[in-house]
Amino acid sequence: MRLKERFCVARTAGTTRTAGKARVARTTLAACLAGVLALSGCSLLGDDGDDGGSSASGGRTAAPRAGASAAADIPYDVTPLLKPAKKYFGVAVPGAPTSMKSVDAYTGRTGKQPNLIEYYAGWGDGFDATGVRNAWAEGALTLMSWEPFDTPVADIAAGKSDAYIKEYATAVRKLNLPVVIDFADEFNGHWEKWGTNHVTPAQYVAAWRHIHQTFVDAGATNVIWSWSPNIVNPVKDVQLKPYYPGDAYVDWVGLIGYFTTGEDNAFDSVFGPTRDRIRTFTKKPMLLLETAAMPGERRRADIRNLFAGVEDDDDMLGFVWFNHKKRADWRLEASPLALKEFKRLAADDRFGFDVRKPS
Amino acid sequence: MTSRPEYYVPQPYDPYADDEPQGGWFNSDGYLPRQPHDPHASQGHEIPQGYEVPQGYEVPQGYEVPQGYEVPQGYEVPQGYEVPQGYEVPQGYEVPQGYEIPQGYEVPQGYDYDPRTYPYQQPDDQQPDDQQTFALRTVAEPDAPAEPAYHVPESPEVGWDMAASRRRAWVSRAVLLCVLAVQAVLSLRLANTAFQDEALYLAAGHAELQHLLHGTPLPINYASYFSGSPQLYPVLAAVVDKRFGLTGARLLSLAFMLGTTTLLYSFTRRLFNERAALAGAALFAVVQSTVVMGYFATYDAAAVFLLALATWIVVRTDRAPVAAVLLAAPVAVLAVGVKYAAALYLPTIVVLALLTGWPHKGGRAYLRMLLLALGIGGLLAVGMYSTDLLAGVRQTTTDRDHGSDSAVFLLQRSAEWGGLMFLTAVGGAISYVRRSRMNESPLAQRLGTPGWRWRALLGLVLCGTALLAPAYQVHLGTVVSLFKHVGFGLLFAAPMAGVGVTRLIGAHFRYPQLGIMLWTATLCLGISQADWRFGVWPDSSKMIRVIDSHVDRKGHYLASTPEVPVYYLRDKTSHRQWQGVFALEYTDKKGRYHSGDAAYRAALRDGEFDLIVLDGLTNPRVDAVVADAVKGNPHYRLLADLPFRNSSGTGHYRIWTKTS
Repeated sequence: MRLKERFCVARTAGTTRTAGKARVARTTLAACLAGVLALSGCSLLGDDGDDGGSSASGGRTAAPRAGASAAADIPYDVTPLLKPAKKYFGVAVPGAPTSMKSVDAYTGRTGKQPNLIEYYAGWGDGFDATGVRNAWAEGALTLMSWEPFDTPVADIAAGKSDAYIKEYATAVRKLNLPVVIDFADEFNGHWEKWGTNHVTPAQYVAAWRHIHQTFVDAGATNVIWSWSPNIVNPVKDVQLKPYYPGDAYVDWVGLIGYFTTGEDNAFDSVFGPTRDRIRTFTKKPMLLLETAAMPGERRRADIRNLFAGVEDDDDMLGFVWFNHKKRADWRLEASPLALKEFKRLAADDRFGFDVRKPS
Repeated sequence: MTSRPEYYVPQPYDPYADDEPQGGWFNSDGYLPRQPHDPHASQGHEIPQGYEVPQGYEVPQGYEVPQGYEVPQGYEVPQGYEVPQGYEVPQGYEVPQGYEIPQGYEVPQGYDYDPRTYPYQQPDDQQPDDQQTFALRTVAEPDAPAEPAYHVPESPEVGWDMAASRRRAWVSRAVLLCVLAVQAVLSLRLANTAFQDEALYLAAGHAELQHLLHGTPLPINYASYFSGSPQLYPVLAAVVDKRFGLTGARLLSLAFMLGTTTLLYSFTRRLFNERAALAGAALFAVVQSTVVMGYFATYDAAAVFLLALATWIVVRTDRAPVAAVLLAAPVAVLAVGVKYAAALYLPTIVVLALLTGWPHKGGRAYLRMLLLALGIGGLLAVGMYSTDLLAGVRQTTTDRDHGSDSAVFLLQRSAEWGGLMFLTAVGGAISYVRRSRMNESPLAQRLGTPGWRWRALLGLVLCGTALLAPAYQVHLGTVVSLFKHVGFGLLFAAPMAGVGVTRLIGAHFRYPQLGIMLWTATLCLGISQADWRFGVWPDSSKMIRVIDSHVDRKGHYLASTPEVPVYYLRDKTSHRQWQGVFALEYTDKKGRYHSGDAAYRAALRDGEFDLIVLDGLTNPRVDAVVADAVKGNPHYRLLADLPFRNSSGTGHYRIWTKTS
């Protein structure tokens, strides 16, 4: 079920860089002592000054100082964002988060500020630190869907892209804001270049673990790792478990699934089978990493089912509305009545929170 | 004749001229040894350079000078030249009868006759008369000068008083104050977060304090593994820490160390003199151990202070009634209570009771020693049996696990940390044995000084004490705490080092540059070593901030240095919840017992710990075991990777939190 063509944003966004005689003798001694003291004193003070100025530079092995400049220098702790009390209210809109204009417009239409902005990046793109900062400035987390269009997953697993991954990880660490990364989503579909026709489960898991380990080695602990299969409904034969890298490498399970016409639109019918399969091997919280409902008569009902389904499942972290016009017009503004319903349901306090202050 | 030749150059007065053997580094008084019958002295005298023998002496009118009259080199009287009676007076010139050249130019007593200094004053009969001068010709001759025209008054043997004076006391106190100021500055410039030992003692102190005040049960039995009583220093430090924080506790140590230096000055002054005392204190104040212990919230500073106080009491009561020495006993025992290893230095204090008493009391000094030994022994026995500290003593001090550090390594470290001062002390001791005199004043020679055996014994005891700690640590094979224990020994070697410095500088500050060089070298070593020492452990402030929100009263945590988070987060966690990386026993969920590395692996497999904090320094081997067990472990997520710089380069904290 290839619903859309991928497009990438912010390729241009760079990584962040950013006696008479005795008396004379005595006097001399005193003067020398005083001189030595003064000199050593001066140099001591000098040392202190230097340390205050550039604590990390230089090759000297003086005692480390607890400088005031180090105050904000601890890695961002993403733990409170892993399973927050409220639901993520996310959106994928064109141009965001490099430009937040379309997000602001979406906020205006739905009456609620999204707190999760998804964008798509190709393997080889630079890290869009500016976009992450833009989203963060509006209280939203950025979710990057990292898609290896031109690089075989097996090569990534074999370490052929290590320089790129390290550079990327370093940039992510340097930014020190939380980022959600989802690598090669819909891997269980045959329609993707990294899908079941091209990549074995073992290669996929190896690549995932390799990327994860490289990030960990670089100290980029501010990444939330989202493992994101397509819902199993169109690909029932593909087992998910072999593709699962393991709880040590995954923070969220991101489901990709849409309410489409011609299919049962109950929440459990769309997401239930996938959820049940995944629950056989992991208890990691789930997110609807990409969802939307086809325009049409049923759209309002689909939206009601979506909100109700997410609300009812404590392990469901929230959803990301795919607000693009690709293959179908998934944009909310395409159906005013559905938008009105969406706005009504989104007003629920359980949806959305400021990710900068997770409760 | 003029009273003094114009080319007279005063030579330094040599106070030790009559003293015992000369020569060598520590006898630098500036003179070459002079032989009693110097061949040069008897063979004619050299005319000092620059002195021009009046050639072609201009003869005044009417004054006939015998042809070819020359002042011969070396004052050899030319043949046929009669002196003085036979002095051929030229015609018309009358030498008054009985004119006497002041015989022998009265030399003040105590001044040696020195032909190099007074080349014209030879009491030699063959000395030629002085040259003729106009003065001699023009001055009207007194008829019969029965008396010399002037008197050189009797001068005292020395121009100063070697007895203590108020001025000298204040001057030396002012210098001591400077020494203390330097010591304080050196200690205060150190900065780092709490070292694990500091954190442990302070945390234990807080727990003991809660236990004493409110009966709160102790999280662990500190007494069983502390190397000092947990009820003494830790409680005191915790009280200070509660009010003023870690800096306050460290300042308490600084006060102890400044007190130690002051006491060292005081008893060295009593043993020798101010100069040796100041020199000894100045050296002691800048060695690594003193500088570090002065800003290190452990019981070392308190223990060394108490040892210094006990020594001071012993030295100060040298002339007091014998029983007064007992005052030192409780202090010495308290020092041992504060830190058990202080007992190593008690024999020195006991022997000092004998040595310091001997010059004043003779045989009764033995009684003094015995009394002190009995006093200390008795109090120690009471202390041992009335408290439960014996187990701790055994575990941490006497039966301590033997390490794997080699003797060569330990001796090398000891030499680096205290070698210079120790060598100075040995030099001082040797020099002191060879010559006891401690004052330039010639009067000092006549003071009754203790015999060489006494001096040798004193030197041996004081210098030997400095070797106790390195020797014991070589026996234990561990470098742990060696730098502090070297400092304990140097406290006792310091008086001798002071003597060494004064001998190096020489009488009348003849070679101050040598003393300054020595002190500067010690200072430079002290500063760099103290900086290195204080940078050995990583700054934990970031680590604490990271884990702060992940610690509560219920969790079970694993850390390389649990003491540090236990101290900093004592309001929200207890020592009981923390596990270190040196030993673990674990029974897994299936009921199987594990110990050692296997226990860590099993516990992590089960997700036993809610938080893991590794520094990669404390026990790198177990850290590697833990890191390996966490890799791919579904229970854990890397929370933070915190790079740090320390003395040995860089490292990083790795912190994992349990997520499922």
